[in-house]
Amino acid sequence: MQQSSILLLFFFLMGIALIVFTYVYLSSKKTDQGMSNPLKKRFWFFLILAVMMGIFASVTIPKSPYFAFADKTPAKVIHVAAMQFSFFLSENAIDPEHPSGQGIELPVNEVVEFRVTSLDVNHGFAIYNESNRLITQTQAMPGYVNRLRYQFDEPGKYNILCLEYCGMAHQVMRSSFTVK
Amino acid sequence: MESIKIRKITSIWIITVLTLFVASIVLGILMRLNQGGVLQQSPITFYSNMTIHGITMIGIWFVAGMAGINYLMERYVKTSYTANLIALILTVIGVLMLWAVTLIGKFHTAWTFLYPLPLKVMWAQWATPTFLVAMSILSIGWLIWGISMMTQVLKKYSIAQAFAWQHFKKDPGVKTPPFILISMITLVGVITCLFVAVVLMALYFAEYFSGGSFVNDALLMKNLTYFFGHTIANEMLYLGLAVIYELFAEVSGRPKWKTSWYVALAWNFTLIFILTAFFHHLYMDFVQPEGFQIVGQLASYLASLPAAAVTVFSVWVAVYRVKVKWTLTNLLFFIGVAGWVIGGFGAVIDATISNNIVLHNTLWVPAHFHTYNVMGNVLFSLAFFYWFSIQFTEKIVSEKFSKLILSLLIIGGAGFLLAFYIGGADSIPRRFSNYPAEFTSAKFLANFGAIFATIYLIPILMLFYNISKRCLKILFSSSS
Repeated sequence: MQQSSILLLFFFLMGIALIVFTYVYLSSKKTDQGMSNPLKKRFWFFLILAVMMGIFASVTIPKSPYFAFADKTPAKVIHVAAMQFSFFLSENAIDPEHPSGQGIELPVNEVVEFRVTSLDVNHGFAIYNESNRLITQTQAMPGYVNRLRYQFDEPGKYNILCLEYCGMAHQVMRSSFTVK
Repeated sequence: MESIKIRKITSIWIITVLTLFVASIVLGILMRLNQGGVLQQSPITFYSNMTIHGITMIGIWFVAGMAGINYLMERYVKTSYTANLIALILTVIGVLMLWAVTLIGKFHTAWTFLYPLPLKVMWAQWATPTFLVAMSILSIGWLIWGISMMTQVLKKYSIAQAFAWQHFKKDPGVKTPPFILISMITLVGVITCLFVAVVLMALYFAEYFSGGSFVNDALLMKNLTYFFGHTIANEMLYLGLAVIYELFAEVSGRPKWKTSWYVALAWNFTLIFILTAFFHHLYMDFVQPEGFQIVGQLASYLASLPAAAVTVFSVWVAVYRVKVKWTLTNLLFFIGVAGWVIGGFGAVIDATISNNIVLHNTLWVPAHFHTYNVMGNVLFSLAFFYWFSIQFTEKIVSEKFSKLILSLLIIGGAGFLLAFYIGGADSIPRRFSNYPAEFTSAKFLANFGAIFATIYLIPILMLFYNISKRCLKILFSSSS
């Protein structure tokens, strides 16, 4: 699960930092000879970090959502209009003057596309699975349509939460759909 | 050498910042307690508190950094007392207006005031224009201050020297102190982002007074807002680093740090990365040009390289097997650097677009930026405040007192932050006044965070009392 790996990675890095800083601090009480060859060590430290960041960048950038399923034709397109404080989901384009929606059912194991916009302020369109884990999201902006493509591997009920602060009822703004 | 006037005005800055810090922490603890179900605030009250909590925290640590570099800059160039005073007066006016706008007017856009939310008036009618005016006052006051300091630097150092470009030559001739280099680089970023803030305010005023005939572009406003917001938060951290480069060696009883070719290179590149990293706030806006998104991740990654290989490594070189004279000042600096590094890990993880899609606007976001501040930049500023306060007053704090302060800061900070990181990994949203029932860990984590924030508050109150007492003495002393 992505979030578990992220947390583990963070704790691992934090642990290394704490060990290094403590070690450096404790060494200052011992002697007064300083670090030998600091420029050489600094260069290697920089090089190792740069290579690691380079690897992380080249591995992760292609996994960005902008490229996801770019060459596929979605099996279904759902129009989403966010408004203070609800979501309209529809298989048809939504009229901003008279927004309306319907219950949505999506096919499992097929690429689907959400076309997300806002009728007033910035909102967030965040999809949570049945384990209450955030699996994907995009922003809902007035005057723009964000296209979010996803493939649901598991059938079930999915919740939508607003994840961009939008005012006093931001915390209760939600919707849902099913995947069959 | 600095005059009595700058000592006194710096004392006022310190007392002002510490007072607002304590008030802001209390608001933050109340927020966590509300999220934990211990308090029952109305959502509007919660969100108004959240708004002024964020604005105040960013504002005070920004001015703390500026006051710090202004004071130390007197070692190298004559700075303008008038500009400093104008900034102080306008800051106080602006902050008071913002507290009124949020606590009385119930303005609750969050500190990021994302367009068009400030114009969707769900609060007192006067709050929106007053908010815009207050932000303009702050931006202008801080611009005057920043431009003034940069002008004074450039009266003594040429542009090339201020950016330490001569250090790329074998024989640099004129030596640029690290403090001047970093202050210059940071002031470029500060002035740029404040100019953008002024443009942003102008666009808001244009729409507000147009009666509907002029409507801004939401994507442009978002880019401008995050350029301003990200950059000012980043720069306030670098203002703290300028102070470290100047004071760490001195306080440790060691020779002054010098600008070498790699220090000059690192900081010049840092400027480019700081100015372009803000794109990482728009990853989830898929309409943003793809190139900007990738620049965002690359700049965010690259910014960590000079930070780690130059600043952090220099701190290690300054301490490793070196008989450092440890005092509260340099211990706060040292722990702050560790906190900054750890916050950096959280940040780089989130700045990875493929992670951001499951972290954006969860508690991971406040996790990393509170780490940067609570265990990083705040400690840098507290170190400067404490150091400044003991320059002119008797009796430094005992070792026992220092140990107590540092232990409570670390324990309190760690617990408070842990609750955010775990919450983020649990997909708990940020900026929710109350959590939906399905997030079963959310209330516990909120209360856990509140308890540890309270533990963190205790040494802050102790330092507030100790430092303010000294600063009041400095303020009301009649002689040097």
